[in-house]
Amino acid sequence: MKSISLFVERESFVHGIDPITKLYYILFAIIIPIILPSFTISAICLGTSIILLIFAKVMRKTLPVYSFVFFVLITVVIIQGLFKPGNETVLLQLGPVAMYKEGLQFALTIVFRVTNIVSAFMILVLTTKPSDLVEALVRKGMSPRIGYVIVSVFQIIPEMMTTMSTIMDAQRSRGMETEGKLLVRIKAFIPLLGPVVLGSLINTKERAMALEVRGFNSRNPKTYLNEEKTYPNSRFIQAVMLVLTVCAVAWRMFL
Amino acid sequence: MKKIVVDHLKYKYPLGEELALQDISFQIEEGEFIGIIGKNSSGKSTLCQALVGLVPHFYKGAYGGKVIVDGLEVKTHTIAEISLKVGMVFQNPFTQVTGSKMTVYEEIAFGLENIGLPREEMRRRIHEVLKLMKIEHVKDRSPFDLSGGQMQRMAIASIIAMKPDVLVLDEPTSQLDPAGSEEVFQAIQDLSGQGITVIMAEHKMEKVAQYCNRVLLLHEGKLVDFAAPEKIFSRNDLETYGVAAPVYTRVCKALGMKKQGCDSYPVTLKDAELALRGSLG
Repeated sequence: MKSISLFVERESFVHGIDPITKLYYILFAIIIPIILPSFTISAICLGTSIILLIFAKVMRKTLPVYSFVFFVLITVVIIQGLFKPGNETVLLQLGPVAMYKEGLQFALTIVFRVTNIVSAFMILVLTTKPSDLVEALVRKGMSPRIGYVIVSVFQIIPEMMTTMSTIMDAQRSRGMETEGKLLVRIKAFIPLLGPVVLGSLINTKERAMALEVRGFNSRNPKTYLNEEKTYPNSRFIQAVMLVLTVCAVAWRMFL
Repeated sequence: MKKIVVDHLKYKYPLGEELALQDISFQIEEGEFIGIIGKNSSGKSTLCQALVGLVPHFYKGAYGGKVIVDGLEVKTHTIAEISLKVGMVFQNPFTQVTGSKMTVYEEIAFGLENIGLPREEMRRRIHEVLKLMKIEHVKDRSPFDLSGGQMQRMAIASIIAMKPDVLVLDEPTSQLDPAGSEEVFQAIQDLSGQGITVIMAEHKMEKVAQYCNRVLLLHEGKLVDFAAPEKIFSRNDLETYGVAAPVYTRVCKALGMKKQGCDSYPVTLKDAELALRGSLG
């Protein structure tokens, strides 16, 4: 079955870390460069994330994400390099266009911060099964309804896509043009919306009923088929991150 | 003991023009196997849903009369409370997949987790229903990757695992081949033998005649008759209700062969054979 989740099944110690710790790591990776806005710290954080991604053997999957992010960031670099107020030192002169050092430095910090956050998120997304993450959160007290919504999206969206292609095939078999120029494609898309949208609404109603009769709104305390996974190192890792954050705050305040 | 009491039930959907159920009253004993028949949109599904509380709690709409299932009045209890006593399997197996579970095994556990069963009990029950519904070999597959028939078996298994006292099935074999339907009917009959009350809306009249103790005939939201299959299928006005009797009954009717010693036509292959042999020899 097609999946819209980015999770990659691999054997690695990063996959074995519990999802909650990974969530803390995202927070950690965002907060540290804010507390200590130096260039080196951002670089160290980014480096840590990338090393973790390499250990998780998911580097190849990150490339499309990184290239998309860099595409956006390139515009930041160009605009800041050319136009940042306070640009003084000319670094590069191409005819009438001049790149300035201050702007580039500023742009570079932004680039580091963004890639840093993106990398931290990718550690979570690429190495954690969505259902494991949600189950961990529900055990921590998140509402099972919200949990259900998040997990089911990963299966129901691909199902809707299958339905859509079935409907499209049916329409094509009755002589509708669905391929060719952009305009033809757009025209073909409109009659698709009715059945897909109405169909999903009806399905949602039926699914809601099926959930009801299976005790979805039951007040009994929920139990779990799978035993709670134990992650031996999560306490330790969380403690280390906490200590590092405290140190960073202390450093910022006293040094 | 009366397991289900329906007393002057009337119901209109919020956007409906007419009553979907018009003044329906009947009683069902514990352990009975009841078939609900009638043409399309005669109110079969609505009646099934009224027994689990989806009518009126899920749809709202205008509701009159009383439905009491195992001492619980449906109107004053939530669906979650009723679902502990009454399980329901719907027509369309595709929309009964929760979508939040990765394997068939976990999918069946969904309802059991919700009602808070201990893990050991869950595993025992899942194992049992996988065997009963003959889907053990697909237990690790994704629920969406199953064939229609397997999905339907899984939907039934998911409800049976919750061990309801009353099982309501709305055309549970629509996606199954003849052999598959037969297996499912057999399994449901086993459950019925264990004392579970079964109510099933179904279009396959031969099966209804073979397995049900009593048959409830609906037409345009009204209860026409509620009696033993022989009596229902021997009615002369069946066709006006859009229902065809089992093929055996039709043959015997055409030949004028009544069941020996009574005033109704045979409804099963066995009875038809007996009647025909009796008249020949």
